[in-house]
Amino acid sequence: MPALIAASAARTCLGDEQETYAALLAGRSGLGPLRHIDPDSVHVRYGYHVPDADPETPLRPSAWLAECAGRALKQSGVDPRRQRVLAVVGTGLRELRAVEREVGGVRTEQLHFAGAVQSVAPIAEVCTLAGACSAGGHALALGQDAIELGDADAVLVAAADGMTESMLAMMGRVVDEPTDALRPFDTGRTGVLLGEGAAALVLVPESSGSPLARLVATGLSCDAGHETAPDVDGICRAMRDAFDRADRHPADVGLVIAHGTGTALNDPAEATALHRIHGASAPLATALKGAIGHTSGSSALHGVAVAIECLRQGRIPPVVGLREPIEEARSVRLVRGTPVPTPRKLVQVNAFGFGGVNAVTLLETA
Amino acid sequence: MTGVAITGSAVYLPGADRPGPPAYPPELARKVLGRKRLLFKEPATRLALCAVHRMLGLPDGEPGHDRPLEPRTAVVASSNLGNVETVADIVRTVRADGWRAVSPLAAPNASSNVLASAVAGWFRFGGPNFLVCSGATGGLDAVAVAVRLLRARRADRVVVVGAEPADEVATALHERRTAQSGPLRAGAACLSLTAATRGVPILRVSSPVDAPESPPDAGFGDSYGAHGIIAAALAVQDLPADPVRVVCGDPADGWRALELERRSVG
Repeated sequence: MPALIAASAARTCLGDEQETYAALLAGRSGLGPLRHIDPDSVHVRYGYHVPDADPETPLRPSAWLAECAGRALKQSGVDPRRQRVLAVVGTGLRELRAVEREVGGVRTEQLHFAGAVQSVAPIAEVCTLAGACSAGGHALALGQDAIELGDADAVLVAAADGMTESMLAMMGRVVDEPTDALRPFDTGRTGVLLGEGAAALVLVPESSGSPLARLVATGLSCDAGHETAPDVDGICRAMRDAFDRADRHPADVGLVIAHGTGTALNDPAEATALHRIHGASAPLATALKGAIGHTSGSSALHGVAVAIECLRQGRIPPVVGLREPIEEARSVRLVRGTPVPTPRKLVQVNAFGFGGVNAVTLLETA
Repeated sequence: MTGVAITGSAVYLPGADRPGPPAYPPELARKVLGRKRLLFKEPATRLALCAVHRMLGLPDGEPGHDRPLEPRTAVVASSNLGNVETVADIVRTVRADGWRAVSPLAAPNASSNVLASAVAGWFRFGGPNFLVCSGATGGLDAVAVAVRLLRARRADRVVVVGAEPADEVATALHERRTAQSGPLRAGAACLSLTAATRGVPILRVSSPVDAPESPPDAGFGDSYGAHGIIAAALAVQDLPADPVRVVCGDPADGWRALELERRSVG
């Protein structure tokens, strides 16, 4: 039984899902100075913060997750009291910021997100999984499986991440100069910057009401090689897995929402993989991280949230930060400057993470 | 698919009095895994690698990382505290000596999924890969998810591996757990799950269910996110004729149970 997306909610530095999409169409960015953690100590000066309270408020990712999950469930009309509802939450960095601030300041059950989900809905089975920067895509795959296998009447698929000092320090450690802006697929890109936020989707079976989009498939793979460098073969396996599972073809894709981290290694590897898979059909492509930063485990679901709006509202936002595309990106048509119309075809959302974990999602108008 | 078979298992509990070859502590993992590529591998990752090494039947000291890619083998890991010491160490270093003092080789450990991806990278398992970190239910959540991966035909085999360390930071955090059943115990275990085929004697795995029962005690201490997998692997290795129920969880995170049964399909 195929899966439909009944509801979508997101929180980024640019606002909720509608505010984020509107800002993306306008080419706006949420980039700003790092608001917490000493920039000089981590060699990172900028980030894409959610503009809420003090950035050191404990357990902010849990709060964003609860807000998105609550809104998505309400929008969907799903009632966890009467229906079999599971939740799968993807994350890159969990609530590790709380551990960094004070080991004794957090209870272990607050490191995962069952409590956040259960603060807004009586869902007994909440599975939190860590999957680096493709965690949300992995959660989406597992959620779709649960619907297709008839294991649930609805699945809440969510993701949440903030910034950790340890990850910032690792990013700062590998750049010559602190990055001033994230520029996906740009020849002058200087590295990644972190974003913050959460996202939630509610999946239901094909027979249900008036959905936002049809979830076609998510393909998964692990490079099983180098731990931090991306691998074109591994990425291609995830893309092919998505098309094989859906019995669809790369030529059916009209838009790719790329992972596009703006790092030296990711962007050429992703562009090369896109060339290998989509070379003949040259789909449109956009990328979000120049506007909302790298939102870690939420990245894939932020891509899906924007994909849903592209399908419903008919316009694709441009890549913020892109000036001159890298040579490897020649076989995708990167959207630059102003929005363009969304083709009535599949949308592909890419997400790749540390450890070589890849998730590629396909969705379309229901 | 007529069920799920457990086609392999291993328990790796340093310090436990168990039959078979000794389980060395993480700092002596080279005795099992060989000397190479262990730099910057965290204790929990080392324990997990040792468990999988033993499950695969590789001789002690023989490296397991020159194997061909297995794109249809998935890894579902479970751990809650595997990388907390690394994260605390990086932060301590940064605050004392600045970003130049941290090693980029520690970068993978800043990401919570490192244990799962390290097992995949080591043994070249190229299928779906993630780490369940759902607290006390994590071990059997991982088994449940692994069963679903097989049913959804995302993999032909799933290596389910659980591991927790007992370092200073992990132990301090565990003491703040609302409902632990004892001190944190370092250890690992793994299971190899495949779709059952006709005529093959299998262990039938039922989907985990809620089990609001008394705290589980498998006689090896509290290994938190690894507990369910350790208990299941111990049960598999000493399975009686009648079905066995394995339980993990706590009052804060809830409960999961698993039925194991020796039977032949078809």
